[in-house]
Amino acid sequence: MVTSFPIVEERWYVVLVGRRLAGAGAVVALVAVMAPWVTGVAQAQDAKVLRAGVTQDLDSLNPFITVTRIGTELTRLNYEFLTTYDPKDYHPVPGLAEKWETSPDKLTWTFTIRSGAKWSDGQPITAQDPAFTFSKMMSDTAAATANGNFTQGWESVSAPDDRTLVIRTKQPRSTMLALDVPIVPKHVWEKVTDFKAEPPLPLVGSGPFIVQDYKASQFIKLKANKDYWRGAPKIDGLDFVYYKNVDAEVQALVKGDIDVMNRLVPAQYDTLKKDPNIKLNTGAGRRLNEILINPGATSADGRPIGDGNPALKDPQLRRAIALAIDSRTLVDKVWGGYAAQAAGYIPPGFSEFHLPERTRFDPAEANRMLDAAGYAKGADGVRADKQGKPLRLRLLGHAGTNLDEQASKYLTNWWRDIGIAVEPQMVSDQKVNDATTGAAFDLAFSGWNANPDPDYVLSLQTCGARPNADGKGATPDSFLCDPEYDRLYTEQLQETDRGKRVEIVKKMQQVLADRATLVILGYDNPLEAYRADRWAPFQTQPADGGVILNQQGYWGLYSATPGRTTDAAAPAAAGGSGGGNTGLIIGLVVAGVVVVGGVVLLVGRSRRRGAADERE
Amino acid sequence: MTSPAWARRRDAAGRAWREFAANRGGLVGLVVLAVFVLVAALGPVLIDDADLDVTRATGDRLRSPSGEFWLGTDENGRSVLALTLWGTQLSLVVGLAAALLSVVIGTTVGILAGHFGGWLSAVLLRFTDFFLIMPSLVLAIALSAVLDGGAGTIILAIGVVSWPASARLVRAQTLAVEARPYIERSRALGGGHGHVIFKHVLPSVLPLVFVNTTLAVGTAIVAESTLRFLGLGDTNEITWGGLLRSAGSSGAITYGAWWYLLPPGIAIVLLVLAFTLVGRALETVLNPKLRERR
Repeated sequence: MVTSFPIVEERWYVVLVGRRLAGAGAVVALVAVMAPWVTGVAQAQDAKVLRAGVTQDLDSLNPFITVTRIGTELTRLNYEFLTTYDPKDYHPVPGLAEKWETSPDKLTWTFTIRSGAKWSDGQPITAQDPAFTFSKMMSDTAAATANGNFTQGWESVSAPDDRTLVIRTKQPRSTMLALDVPIVPKHVWEKVTDFKAEPPLPLVGSGPFIVQDYKASQFIKLKANKDYWRGAPKIDGLDFVYYKNVDAEVQALVKGDIDVMNRLVPAQYDTLKKDPNIKLNTGAGRRLNEILINPGATSADGRPIGDGNPALKDPQLRRAIALAIDSRTLVDKVWGGYAAQAAGYIPPGFSEFHLPERTRFDPAEANRMLDAAGYAKGADGVRADKQGKPLRLRLLGHAGTNLDEQASKYLTNWWRDIGIAVEPQMVSDQKVNDATTGAAFDLAFSGWNANPDPDYVLSLQTCGARPNADGKGATPDSFLCDPEYDRLYTEQLQETDRGKRVEIVKKMQQVLADRATLVILGYDNPLEAYRADRWAPFQTQPADGGVILNQQGYWGLYSATPGRTTDAAAPAAAGGSGGGNTGLIIGLVVAGVVVVGGVVLLVGRSRRRGAADERE
Repeated sequence: MTSPAWARRRDAAGRAWREFAANRGGLVGLVVLAVFVLVAALGPVLIDDADLDVTRATGDRLRSPSGEFWLGTDENGRSVLALTLWGTQLSLVVGLAAALLSVVIGTTVGILAGHFGGWLSAVLLRFTDFFLIMPSLVLAIALSAVLDGGAGTIILAIGVVSWPASARLVRAQTLAVEARPYIERSRALGGGHGHVIFKHVLPSVLPLVFVNTTLAVGTAIVAESTLRFLGLGDTNEITWGGLLRSAGSSGAITYGAWWYLLPPGIAIVLLVLAFTLVGRALETVLNPKLRERR
């Protein structure tokens, strides 16, 4: 705390001058330190490195653990999957497996692993590697944390020879060509005892880019895999550079410090339309954004876990909470129109499985439901729960995420209107992650990038997705554990007729809406931008209206080609930016004058006092 | 009221005011401060709740200033003017409360350490040193992250990290006062610790404490805005730091929405400046050291 000590007062000036000199010295030193760094960047540009901006905390580099967007992206770049999704229309295409066949009873799958592919440490990739990966996930619960849903209901995995992988399942499985499971090198991972631990760097992988170095909240460095079986990428490396918030990230893009970024905020997207050096990219929403409502969470063995408000065990209360959310306003105001209104659990970007029935916004009905259920309003407008305690809930959100920070303001007001007091708590991504997997929440923001195959996001709501008593060992979402939902889940998994499976998946979405352990807020369109003056167009997935980053695969970043995107003609600016930069400059000048004026006043005063002191 | 003691006090107050009024900077600060207090007090009258409720906002997203919205709108279409005016209240209250808390802790520790000396002083001073060397922002962030959200937590976090300077200051003044002969006289006449502390030391330390508080408020307001800007505390409360944070996270900087960034920023600068000017002016009036020299 700045406090002026009378005794120190006389020396004030000396200190100030001394500090000024020290400051000058520091600047000189800083320039000296920065100089090689700046040239370093220039060299890096010669070495053709694509720099992508990122704001999300990385939960883990361990492919068996990570579930975050950035973590999944790294996994997909680093490890080739058995099969992957076509960049144009998502149909399954060969990955590590060059072909596959299934037995007439659909219980035995035989994959032929391609020969000649190598791990980044030079060892050959054989069928032993996927066999090891899958068996580990079936035997070790830690290894099943992120993707355990894919190996549930499997009978056995074996590799009779180095090119053949045989998987036997107990029932037919509809997800056998959608196994989003990173295949790890057996010769590295067989020595690992704790599958929750962080792997040593650099990683050993099989994908187009290999993770070399990582500093939390600073950077993730990947090197191009020159031996990649599809052919080496056209660039030498890929850096993910961390920014504290999206606005800093956008400024970095405008200045040219990074080359590509996603998850722009609408105001930024509209502004960048005017920048001729930047190419924008958007498409249909493939991400579901939701509010989780803790329904009295239980762990995998059925014991209560976490600290959710017990009042939320009542489905009627949860339904009322869901009814009070106006997705349309969120789409218009928070997402600036770059989003689709809430309907079923599967996002509209995957229209085949999407349930188009929109969620309702009816606060009057919600109020009636709560009145009827006996939640009486108190004098302060807050309802009391069945025990007579006021209904006060916490809303957990990701600090710095535009949706969470903005939508929480709307949500608290809407919920206040139906007599529920909600206090938003914005905390770090890692804290939200820990709290939601351990059920330490009442209401929480969550969201998933859905896959072409809906199994993964559907599996998040099953009883099997619940964690152990420590909140570990699985990836839960809303802690729903509902017999009807689980029965339907198993049915869709065993249904090999596509049309029938779609029907079951739609029914599951109706069940989810009825149980109201989660409420869909809407599906934001991906808003991406890259430097058109440095890079040729990226391969989007799907080809039409697709994304560059966070794909179901590695196509976007793998396709990075230094060059130029010429059709980046700036569309007419969207109105609304008003005075734009002129206004900002005027404003800053005004602020500057105010600040300088204040300083002059202050210094003038101390100078006068200084004179008085000297007179003594 | 007409006793000689009261007359003397009134006289002294009049002299102090004249001395204060002679200081132009202090007067300007006082006027600015009065305006802020007025705005804070009248906030609920001037501003309708509907102006602050995002679900009832009437404006468009990030509109530049116009006849309807003098300072434009925020990302939810609310008037930035209304938000800034409303933010005055919480910034003032939190700043004052935090400064008060810090000064109360600091004064208590300072007087105890100065008066009793010996091992108690040694312990208290080491304790003070410990807090003095702690990076206060980091400690405040840690505190407000661990405790529940809300203005109370912010007040506590700032108060708890910022008291050591005033403790040191008060201890020095206590030592100076206690070295004077009249304290010894009072002890000789049978005055106990309580008597010496409350009758003699505290009154002579109080002016210093008062000045210190005024100056501390400015720092506390900046600290409050910093914590809010970093997203601590209840994000639904409207504060200047919180407004700057929303501006940052909603892309207002890239958008060039200066009308969203400047009002809260300038308000912080003005309020802090006002407190500093008043504090400095008070210092010349009340600080015995500076006054004696005149």
